[in-house]
Amino acid sequence: MKQVFNRLARPGIAVITLLALVLFASQAVAQDANEYRQFLGMDSRRFVWFLAQMHLYFGAFVLGVPLFALVIELVGWRTGDEKYDKLAYEFTSLLSVAYATTAALGGLMAFALITLYPTFWGFMAGVFKDIMFMYALMFFFETFFLYLYYYGWKAMKGGKEFGRPLQLVLKAMGGITILLGVAFTFGAFDPETGMRTDTRIWFVVFYFVPISISFLMIKNLKTTHIAIGIMLNVAGTLIMQLANSWAGYMMSPVGVNEALEVVGSTWQAFENILATPIAIHRMLGNLAFGGLVAGSYAAVKFIGSKTAEEKAHYDWMGYVANMVAVAALIPLPFAGYYLGREIYSTSAVMGNNMMGGDFSWTFIIQAMLVGSLFLISNYYLWSGMTRIPGSERFYRYIKFILFALILSFAIWLTPHNLPLSAVEVGEMGGSQYHPILKFLGLMPAKNAVVNLIILSTFFSFLLYRRGNKVDPVSIREQGKTAKMVIIGAAIAAILLVGQYAVTMLTMDPAALDLPSDTAYYMRVIGYLLIFECAVAVLATWLALNDRGKLAQGIYLSVTAFNVAIFLGVWGFVVMEKASPILRNVAVSQFLQLISCLILVTAIDLFLWKGSKEVGPLKWGKMTVRSQYALLLLTIIITMNMGLMGFIRSGLRGDWHIFGIMRDTSEWASTPTNFVMTQQVGAAVLIFLVACAFMFWLGNLVTKVAAKVDSPTDTGEATE
Amino acid sequence: MKNPLVNVFGFLVLTILVYNWIGYVITDLSGGGKDVSAATDISPEGGESLYWGKGRCYTCHSLGGQGSAVRGPNHGQFGEKFPLPMGSRAVERAAERTEKTGQTFSAVDYIIESMAEPGAYVVKGYKNEMAVVYAPPISLNLNEIKAIVSYMMVQGGDLDMEAIDTAPSEISAKFYSKINAAQAAGGGDPGAGEVVFEDNCEECHSLEGEVVVGPDLSTIGDKGIKHISESILNPAKSIASGFETYEVETKDGTKIIGLKTRDEGGETDITKKNGEVVTLAKSDIKKITVDQNASVMPEDLSEAMTVKDFQDIQAFLIMQKAEKKDGE
Repeated sequence: MKQVFNRLARPGIAVITLLALVLFASQAVAQDANEYRQFLGMDSRRFVWFLAQMHLYFGAFVLGVPLFALVIELVGWRTGDEKYDKLAYEFTSLLSVAYATTAALGGLMAFALITLYPTFWGFMAGVFKDIMFMYALMFFFETFFLYLYYYGWKAMKGGKEFGRPLQLVLKAMGGITILLGVAFTFGAFDPETGMRTDTRIWFVVFYFVPISISFLMIKNLKTTHIAIGIMLNVAGTLIMQLANSWAGYMMSPVGVNEALEVVGSTWQAFENILATPIAIHRMLGNLAFGGLVAGSYAAVKFIGSKTAEEKAHYDWMGYVANMVAVAALIPLPFAGYYLGREIYSTSAVMGNNMMGGDFSWTFIIQAMLVGSLFLISNYYLWSGMTRIPGSERFYRYIKFILFALILSFAIWLTPHNLPLSAVEVGEMGGSQYHPILKFLGLMPAKNAVVNLIILSTFFSFLLYRRGNKVDPVSIREQGKTAKMVIIGAAIAAILLVGQYAVTMLTMDPAALDLPSDTAYYMRVIGYLLIFECAVAVLATWLALNDRGKLAQGIYLSVTAFNVAIFLGVWGFVVMEKASPILRNVAVSQFLQLISCLILVTAIDLFLWKGSKEVGPLKWGKMTVRSQYALLLLTIIITMNMGLMGFIRSGLRGDWHIFGIMRDTSEWASTPTNFVMTQQVGAAVLIFLVACAFMFWLGNLVTKVAAKVDSPTDTGEATE
Repeated sequence: MKNPLVNVFGFLVLTILVYNWIGYVITDLSGGGKDVSAATDISPEGGESLYWGKGRCYTCHSLGGQGSAVRGPNHGQFGEKFPLPMGSRAVERAAERTEKTGQTFSAVDYIIESMAEPGAYVVKGYKNEMAVVYAPPISLNLNEIKAIVSYMMVQGGDLDMEAIDTAPSEISAKFYSKINAAQAAGGGDPGAGEVVFEDNCEECHSLEGEVVVGPDLSTIGDKGIKHISESILNPAKSIASGFETYEVETKDGTKIIGLKTRDEGGETDITKKNGEVVTLAKSDIKKITVDQNASVMPEDLSEAMTVKDFQDIQAFLIMQKAEKKDGE
């Protein structure tokens, strides 16, 4: 108990310190000119940048891992497979050290901001005073749920169902939460100034829905434990959202006049334009990050394993972690697109600066990293096929997928203008643009290949899933659930694509400042989307009539043709004749792609459900090389997080708070990409070494606990 | 292979070194960091530094083979689409503007217009999305804008520094005063401010010398930026004469608060905050008093605006001056 108290106290002290800092800092609002200070003569900007990066890495870890652990625990609970439960527990054990470190780093970062950027901090504390208190207090909730979740794991393993009265009370609480959620959805709790739609959707999806589910699902100790896991994630998500509102506000401030007087409400500042788009992007990023850090843990353990059993266990752990990460990675580009669009809507200057200005070359590095993530994920999947008896049948496809990936990757990386010497420019006819390669550097080509990379990865995943399956199963004979899920997925896919088809067929070109004769370029996109909808209907009909493989093949092929070839070429036509429509081309590509993923996955789920297998998976039969691939994925995503943070923050240019408070310090310029890679590289190195230390510590604790438990336990705690 | 942690650490360090090497190469290829320091001298050299630096023009425009942006028109000679560089192209565009507006545009006038009012002439095939360069975050001052104009003019055109700086034409002078006024108002964009005005103010205020509900704002710019700012943030503090807020109590006990918009014969009209007009027979009124601390103008108006909206509408209103109206 004393040990538990000590653990609880560590982040608690940091939280109390933070509260004190908020009180202290709000005094600084009245200062007239921006004041900057230094610590030990260091560059304050790089010092704060480093601390913020470290805090964000640890924050992403303590938010991503519980999310990942909950997903795994849910799978274990639904399938009744104990090993998932053990896996979730093993990862949760890593959290306590990371949690205290995150809180300590957060406190350090706050100290640095207060002492080195007093004017900026004072202003932010003035605007967000209420939110900062709530932020600090939410840590108590998270601490409470985290330790209850971790220390209560073994004590809440199942047991008898709770009595009926208690269940009724819990159901009533669930019902009340649903009613409150419905009232919230229809604006019952809106502040006077109203509420943004994205904020409303976020609250409903991430707070009201999970809280009501957690109440409704409680029947025994195990489901209570899962409910605690849900509440832990709700608290973590709220903490992330509160902190995100500050980052969003610095880019899209509201409610402040030119004299820096706060005239808007705290709520308006909290739900600023970019707060939710950033939160969505971070949420998915955290899940992918949590999965990959867990995967790297498994990889290191696999490399050091001495027995076949250990290898099998850690191979399986790495596989599960990677699957969760890839599932979160696939929608990330869409969330990124949404965030980018909102940044552009907030300020065309920030938006243009993103991919076409100071950060265009940073995006080339980002393309290298994201392309590598997809390429290595595919490699890991292909390596994984070696443990699947029967998957040899699909090896022949790998070379084609690899070709598509490498070609796409190369096109994605091709810059529009080449950095050439004067002699080279002369040899190319006086232009920096290569006669052929210049086209590959333009947006239509890049949009096409990004979609093709995602489709290729998805295709690898489909092959992996059916590696040891022999014959597909009849969907017609599978009862109502299969039909309902497939039809539901088809409706979702058709609605996604169809609504945009209507938009493209009815949009007035004047809305984009274009003459009426350019309507043709929109209509073509509209007709193509209608065709995609028709193919979705055909695929659904085929799947429901036991031609699932054909359905998947047709839908995948048509989508690949539409997004990568037809719209790839059409993008160039549009760019020449009516460039503003290029954005609509990109949206239509994304919508077709995501619709394809939804419907093909739904068909696949039932097509191979319970089908005959060539043989069981041989867990542990993986190369050491594949484990380094897993490690590389983690290193790359960590570097990419740092890089994207640099871009997002750098978009403000020389403004602390965009358009309101200019950065007048000596460090106000945008650092070079080399400075960025040095800064991010150092943070990645320290963070991952710290992670290794935490893994070691967590392992030590598990071993000690196993030794202590073993004389009286029946073996449950010996994992 | 004996100690897996050593191998893994080595792998991690190697990957980070490769990452740094990429950062180094990319920085080297792309010409290093951007010099964002502002040039204050009004010259083509100063303009060049601003074009590729603080002004961020390179984000959307290229100059012949220099730069790679395609979002906005190329400012140099480039392919069939742009056979003339900007300096000589501006002469052709100026002729188009002269024909369209009836005012005699010079090449310099055209280039200044394209920065002061980017939406006035949009090159075919491009969207009206150019940033207002004298508003945040770019916030170029007038001298910096003049420097860029001179840089554009030397791209195949005749540089006339008098027309740009010391003796601008009437058209250029009008745009310069617009830029100055907008900067005085916190660097807002008057064009965007007009939209904010239409969305939030037009229902009650006119710019044509008429009284709708609230005072006419056609000359509010003459009262200065402080008055405009205060009128939006704290409307009750600066109520225009004749637009006082009345509190009316009728004999049946009903209270009505609003502007007295008609007072003739035996009737009085009170226009409430929401625009509703209540006609009262004078015989029904028990008491009518002026409330010095209230305004029918929405007090939470500033809360509903973003910072940018606020700056934009100030920039728009500061331009509503009697002098401007006379000139039109």
